[in-house]
Amino acid sequence: MTRRVNTFGMVALMLAIFSCASRKAEPIAPPLALKTSTFIHGEQVFMHNCQKCHPNGEAGLGPAINSNPAPVFIKAFQVRHGLGVMPSFKKDEISKQELRDLKAYLKVLKRNRPLPENL
Amino acid sequence: MTKSSLHYSPLFMNIFNVRASILLLLIFSGCYSLRPSGGGGKTDEVVERVINPKDVALPDGYVLSTLARNLTYPSGIDIDEQGNVYIIEAGYAYGEDWAEPRLIKVDSAGTITVIATGKKDDAPWNGIDYHDGNFYIAAGGQLAGGKILKIDMQGNVTPLLQDLPSYGDHHTNGPVVMNQYLYFGQGTATNAGVVGEDNYQFGWLKRKPEFHDIPCEDIILRGKNYQSPNVLQPGGKEIVFTGAYQPFKTPSADGQVVRGQIPCTGSVMRISLAGGKPELVAWGLRNPFGLATYQHKLFLTENSYDQRGSRPVWGAGDVLWEVNQGDWYGWPDYAAGKKIYDDEEFKTPGKPKVKPVLKNPVKTPPKPLAILGVHSSSAGIDFSTSAVFGFPGEAFIAQFGDMATGVGKTLSPVGFKVVRVDITTGVIHDFAVNKGRRNGPASWLKTGGLERPVAVKFSKSGNALYILDFGVMRMDGKQSIPQQKTGVLWKIIQK
Repeated sequence: MTRRVNTFGMVALMLAIFSCASRKAEPIAPPLALKTSTFIHGEQVFMHNCQKCHPNGEAGLGPAINSNPAPVFIKAFQVRHGLGVMPSFKKDEISKQELRDLKAYLKVLKRNRPLPENL
Repeated sequence: MTKSSLHYSPLFMNIFNVRASILLLLIFSGCYSLRPSGGGGKTDEVVERVINPKDVALPDGYVLSTLARNLTYPSGIDIDEQGNVYIIEAGYAYGEDWAEPRLIKVDSAGTITVIATGKKDDAPWNGIDYHDGNFYIAAGGQLAGGKILKIDMQGNVTPLLQDLPSYGDHHTNGPVVMNQYLYFGQGTATNAGVVGEDNYQFGWLKRKPEFHDIPCEDIILRGKNYQSPNVLQPGGKEIVFTGAYQPFKTPSADGQVVRGQIPCTGSVMRISLAGGKPELVAWGLRNPFGLATYQHKLFLTENSYDQRGSRPVWGAGDVLWEVNQGDWYGWPDYAAGKKIYDDEEFKTPGKPKVKPVLKNPVKTPPKPLAILGVHSSSAGIDFSTSAVFGFPGEAFIAQFGDMATGVGKTLSPVGFKVVRVDITTGVIHDFAVNKGRRNGPASWLKTGGLERPVAVKFSKSGNALYILDFGVMRMDGKQSIPQQKTGVLWKIIQK
């Protein structure tokens, strides 16, 4: 039984990783509800630093962020320290506050869902 | 193992989760070099282009239709006072495919009337601006040098300017009229200042082996030289060294001064509408492709560096700039206002960091309005002025899409859509983009949507947006394979 649950869990995890939709920005998805200045500022930080390689959080030059299952704090770690081919962004490039706002924006972006008719 | 041994402390689980997450990240990002390129041009030949506006996603309330199809390499669009639509067909596409450059009128039923045709030597025609009864065309002049052509409504062609340094990778672009001056862009000869093997693959190096970039003002070099095979020699086994702003096989020296000239490459210049000599507006721009005016200010899209040639640059996004008289925008040592040298952000994976070629920066480059996708080929630009259409004051940009692997590697298609940019915040939103689980051109997605948007233009009322779609350009490795008669003119209105 436990083995079956584990197998199911692994399959579910692989499905989540490989087939989870990465398109979460308008017009594929509804406009994001960026209700606070934190989210709005986080979006601007994303646009100035991340958008060029991960357009709308989708894959481009780099891999998709939206469908990456790692929690946001791990992604923030990657922003600060770099990993693989991704460069690091030091505090003079993305300040502590900007990184906090970026994390908040990434959470909102990840929660957004594409409209089924657009997939 | 007893059941109780599976009870871990919360602290242990947190540490475990963090480690598992880092492992996952390593798995996802650590094998970049092993992953194949996934650009949008990696697709099969299109026998007949399918058109279906329903395959394109738009914000709620907008409708897409087609006005003309079967165009060959359309590149620019403008509209006269009566609302007639005019487009140009370039007559040349990367991949060294030639056709006849044409200025054509498209009526509301989609019927095409040819106003004027151009010479093969003047192709590619890259941009058009209608002003006061005349058309002004940036003629790329891959074979005969760049020109600015004036064409009247009867189709009579008069060159206003010729012999522009446009034989290289990038051509004469724009143009746009503002305050009785015609502003135009002149792209650079090379990717990052150094002539090399990639320019041979483009086709021009064997035609013009002495051609190279020309600065607009005097510059001092560091004497950094780049090694490449002598592609001009049969077999190409000899190794040669080439410096920045030098002809192929010509090294540079530390402290060497290269004299500035006008016309120059990597610049925006202007001429009076009556003609005359070109004047420098701004420089240090790699390929200033799309020019537009809004509220008496000049804006442009810059196609930024590729990961190719003797001096490859990785991760440089295309840029939206406001152009100010006398500014230097950083090429060949900066991208989007940031140094490309000694910085891991612009280092090709597995290669050393980029080194500067200039002794000192000409000036401090300004800050960009927005940074667009790497290899998105952000091209034509126009501004919404209508509250009826929506998004007044925002820049709409046609993104031709990546040409991987000719420009470098991408993990997924980049561009192939129209985006809108809030120029006050730099925030970019997709406006017209193909539906599907992933973004890409219609030929890659096997749908009837957008292929390679190259220009956008609002109607005079501002209530309709026209999108000019270049058509299919496939990539076979580094080689471009454009397909004639696959271009489309789209139109978007509010419901």
